[in-house]
Amino acid sequence: MNKSNARLGWLFASPYLIYSAIFFLFPLIWATYLAFTNWNLIAPDYEFVGIQNFIEAFFSESVRAAFFVTYKFLFMFVPIVVIGSLFLAMIIHALPRFKGLYSVAFFLPYLASGVASAIVVNGILSYNSPFNIWLRGTFGLDINWLGSPILAPLIIALMMAWKFAGYYALLFVAGLESIPKDVYEAAAIDGAVGFKRFWSVTLPMLYPSFYTVTILAVGLMFGIFTEPYVLTGGGPEYATHTWQLEIYQQAFAKMNAGYGTSIAVINSVVTFASIFVFRKILEKWGARHGWE
Amino acid sequence: MKNNSWMRLLIVMLAVAMIASACQKPGEGSSEDGKVEFEFWSAPNPTQQAFWSDMAKAYMKENENVKIKVTPMPESPSSEAGIQSAIAAGNAPAISENISRGFAAQLSASSAIVPLEEFDGYDELIKNREMTETMSTWKFADDHQYVLPIYSNAMLFGWRMDILKELGYDEPPKTYSEVLEMGEKLKEKHPDKFLWARADLVKPTWWARWFDFFMMYNAASKGNNFVEGEKFIADDKAGVETLGFMKNLSEKDLLLTREATDPFETGQAVMMDIGPWTFPYWADKFPEMKQGETYELSMPPVPDGVDPENAKTFADTKGLSIYASASKEQQQAAFDFVKWVYSDAENDLTWFEKTNLPPARDDLSTNETFEQYFEENPQLVKYAENIPNAVPPIDSENTVEIQEAIGKDAVNPVIKGQKEPKKAWDDMKKSIDGMLK
Repeated sequence: MNKSNARLGWLFASPYLIYSAIFFLFPLIWATYLAFTNWNLIAPDYEFVGIQNFIEAFFSESVRAAFFVTYKFLFMFVPIVVIGSLFLAMIIHALPRFKGLYSVAFFLPYLASGVASAIVVNGILSYNSPFNIWLRGTFGLDINWLGSPILAPLIIALMMAWKFAGYYALLFVAGLESIPKDVYEAAAIDGAVGFKRFWSVTLPMLYPSFYTVTILAVGLMFGIFTEPYVLTGGGPEYATHTWQLEIYQQAFAKMNAGYGTSIAVINSVVTFASIFVFRKILEKWGARHGWE
Repeated sequence: MKNNSWMRLLIVMLAVAMIASACQKPGEGSSEDGKVEFEFWSAPNPTQQAFWSDMAKAYMKENENVKIKVTPMPESPSSEAGIQSAIAAGNAPAISENISRGFAAQLSASSAIVPLEEFDGYDELIKNREMTETMSTWKFADDHQYVLPIYSNAMLFGWRMDILKELGYDEPPKTYSEVLEMGEKLKEKHPDKFLWARADLVKPTWWARWFDFFMMYNAASKGNNFVEGEKFIADDKAGVETLGFMKNLSEKDLLLTREATDPFETGQAVMMDIGPWTFPYWADKFPEMKQGETYELSMPPVPDGVDPENAKTFADTKGLSIYASASKEQQQAAFDFVKWVYSDAENDLTWFEKTNLPPARDDLSTNETFEQYFEENPQLVKYAENIPNAVPPIDSENTVEIQEAIGKDAVNPVIKGQKEPKKAWDDMKKSIDGMLK
């Protein structure tokens, strides 16, 4: 590459680099520094407290809850959303016409405000909602949906799955559309039909989309805020207390910005490590089946 | 060559960062021609913003050397967080409303706001607005006044009188034993109804304690303070009695601690904590709610042996604070503007009409200016009468942690039947003592 090409390259890349520097790099450096201080966000004076914030976070009940709750959400949400969006994609793919229209219709929940969706769900599950009155009247079932430490996270996971299934289905539809028809024809000649065709042809060919969707879904679980904030406030008894709720409460409600930032740093590390592990598992699983 | 490129990139980034930081709003608002310019942040509520915009316009007409820019405060993720971020970024206004006493304690501990009594004309303002008594409960532990309360909602309980009349009551019960007796009659006649529907009773949400625990604790303790500076000074007897009452309500199945839509309005529950903001909602959605017919308002119930006539309650109240980051000139100009607004009771009437929030004046129920408005809105009379009986939120910089502990260690476990009131109170006290040290 000659010098003027290199300059041109830098010129084209510079808007993104500058954007990243201002909104990601500098805040990251600043946040890392803050994590070692006791700054409360507004006081002119604050101290460098070393690793005290990290030690405190390690022994904190709420941080520990955020750590485990994320995996609980993850193991509920990821299978539901991956299977659900794949199923949705296959239905859309099989439609004879108006595929685009249906794709957009299923994508709409993704655009809906998390607050609005949470308020609607809250209304549906409220004690005196028609649904609960019917359950009590017909079956004698009085279920405390958002007051149960098992049901509350499941409801949030289902709500998130409803919101994201249409979006992930688009990725799967793109993957399905890219599978050449010849491959299916060849498989049919070899006797691969029905589930065998899905398992031996569709799934391996869809592996890149599957990989992307799974990793996106895993990453999403480390950033949940709106739904538990509106629906449960992190309860009951920390059953839906996520990393973002903990960071928000520490930094903005309790004004412990330094401590809150240290939790954000821990959250980043845990997120990167978890995504790395999931990527490795998926890659190994794909390699074992020859899907790479 | 490679190193040079990286150096250039770094220089470009630094230059951009410097330009970005230079683009920040200058903190100084006074110009050489003697004009003072300052920013006023109103609460993120169209009616409040409209009130302050009108006031600013009227003031600027009379004072041409002052320019006031009224804008709603950022409310994402909360107005408090918006203020904190602005202070951190050096973009705080000269003055803002929507400041609670607890938040003010956090701000004053970080020297982000200034004491109001040090401004010229402070005494005149307090005298003109008739708020000496109200202000006395607002004094902070360091003897300063950091917030000028704008409105004060003496939180009351609403009672479904139509249902209570069926049970043989002509007025709301006033003491714990009266409430429990009424609750028993309610359950006998309507087993599917509850006394109080409040999901927050089993949640540690810190601000929820204002509308359950503090309403009842203030009534039981005759307004005894909860913490003062670094000291826990709550009335132990009143605290345990409050928790004991909650325990009794829970054990007798009188509490609905699940999310429910409009339980009071639909008659699912017969008691509810009510602020004046409820009435516009009722006028719109439940026009059948009529005072004296479907509902009545009362002060919180008190323990047996305490005179209900002397009951206190929680004051949901917010006010104005002036920020330390503004120049001295801007601070005084902002204060002068506030003094001008409150020099005329008509302005408080305008506020009341626009927002339905009772101005924090000692004379609200007796001042002639408001007479006609109360005749048209009789449901607000009890709120006005009880302004002097309403205790503002605690003034500790640990407000959030303290109120979280009240929920986690005391209210929530008592309601769930996991702890006895005395043990819950002691556990809570221990947690709070640990925070204050």
